Amino acid sequence: MTIRYCFCYKIEYIDRIEIEKEVVILKLELGKIKISDVQFGDKTEVVKGTLYVNKDEIIKLVLEDDRILSANVELARPGESVRIAPVKDVIEPRVKVSGSGAIFPGTINKVKEVGSGRTHALVGATVITCGRIVGFQEGVIDMSGPAAKYTPFSETNNVCIVIEPVEGLETHDYEAAGRMVGLRVAAYIGEAGRNVEPDEIVTYETKPLQEQVKQYPDLPKIGYIHMLQSQGLLHDTYYYGVDAKVMVPTFMYPTEIMDGAIISGNCVAPCDKVTTFHHLNNPVIEDLYKRHGVDLNFIGVVLTNENVFLADKERSSDMTAKLCEFLGLDGVIITEEGYGNPDTDLMMNCRKVSQKGIKVVLITDEFPGRDGKSQSLADATEEGDALVSCGNGNVIINFPPMEKVIGTLDFIETMIGGYEGSLKPDGSIEAELQIIIASTIANGYNKLSAKGY
Amino acid sequence: MVKEIERAGIPVVHMCTVVPISLTIGANRIIPAVGIPYPLGDPNLGEEKSKKIRRSLVERALKALQTEVTDQTVFEN
Repeated sequence: MTIRYCFCYKIEYIDRIEIEKEVVILKLELGKIKISDVQFGDKTEVVKGTLYVNKDEIIKLVLEDDRILSANVELARPGESVRIAPVKDVIEPRVKVSGSGAIFPGTINKVKEVGSGRTHALVGATVITCGRIVGFQEGVIDMSGPAAKYTPFSETNNVCIVIEPVEGLETHDYEAAGRMVGLRVAAYIGEAGRNVEPDEIVTYETKPLQEQVKQYPDLPKIGYIHMLQSQGLLHDTYYYGVDAKVMVPTFMYPTEIMDGAIISGNCVAPCDKVTTFHHLNNPVIEDLYKRHGVDLNFIGVVLTNENVFLADKERSSDMTAKLCEFLGLDGVIITEEGYGNPDTDLMMNCRKVSQKGIKVVLITDEFPGRDGKSQSLADATEEGDALVSCGNGNVIINFPPMEKVIGTLDFIETMIGGYEGSLKPDGSIEAELQIIIASTIANGYNKLSAKGY
Repeated sequence: MVKEIERAGIPVVHMCTVVPISLTIGANRIIPAVGIPYPLGDPNLGEEKSKKIRRSLVERALKALQTEVTDQTVFEN
């Protein structure tokens, strides 16, 4: 009798866990709090769509890092005559309201799986880190004028953190300090949204593989291969704090990225730099979810890297193709970060995944020279027969002078896209489009494209 | 550059890390190099060992230059 009782109890216990799993572990509610203005205030808070930030508290937080000598906070709103440079990272303030883990796990919070429960985002607000250049691949944001339309951050209310490193700080340390400052300030501001009722709540859900396949058995199984920049020398991305160059391709639930599982540590070309903002708001994931259960079954994300040794490229693309095959995908979308040798990773992934009988679409930007006559990508493969272009980064554009500069224009001519004579005495600039943050970003979070006729 | 110099009648060895790009652009003699940040050496191994790597790569390149090829060839050894 006793034995039988125990048996029943166990069954009941297992049932309960399974129910818990279904309800708690797989779903993320993203509460969007729309921000239409940013102002300084005594308290960091959101009141009727306006974000107030306490300048002194932010500066105090930034200066906790002893690698930073001094810091200032400046605000940049849409339509203002403001130029921000050199921009290091852009981050959307978010807070984890419920569910496992905290925002930016493995970097500023403990490593703990994220992607479930509820998260609040201050949509329309960002934190921008800028100040003396780290490498040579940081970018420009104009808040008005003809160059503003090329960057999404001319339409957001930006809290700009201008940092000055201590003298003699080694470049990699400076990059790390800037990166952590941005994340910490974004998390601090994100807290202001914890108890605010969101204007909109979007629910995202991906189930474990077998259940996900069963949910929409008649729809094509689609995956997303997200290539993380990992070339080193200030070109790095982190997944739960692990440097992408030392990881092998792995599977990620798409909701994990929305809680900051991936953060940018990149000084790559500004035009296609995937900022932490773009990881949080990945447009491919967003759009795949929109069609999830409608005309496709979004199975999940394969994360891979872009390393500088051929053996790494071969190994990672082999494993990426193997994972896609194992997941039973019918089709994948692949995006890359940066250009040049990562084009080889893109093509290797394309070729090897195609050879598994899986359909592939590539998203990338192009660098065919100022006259548009050269080869657009450094590498190519016959299997790459479906590609969405996010524009030509070599086009030359003119930036009129702005009344105010946040940061400094001292480095314009040595930044990617700039050249000798780019910066004019009146503060206007002539440079390649690639100097603008996210102007040709190779995941489609921009307004440029190319069409074949 | 590789193609234009060859067009002028001078054989070229392309030493590069990302062999697939070299194949795509149409180089005929290719030597796989060490890595993108340090193609002809390895600073992790110190200057002495790095120099040995460099010498062996350059010697392989000189050998490749003197080798008749009928197709794109990667000289692994």
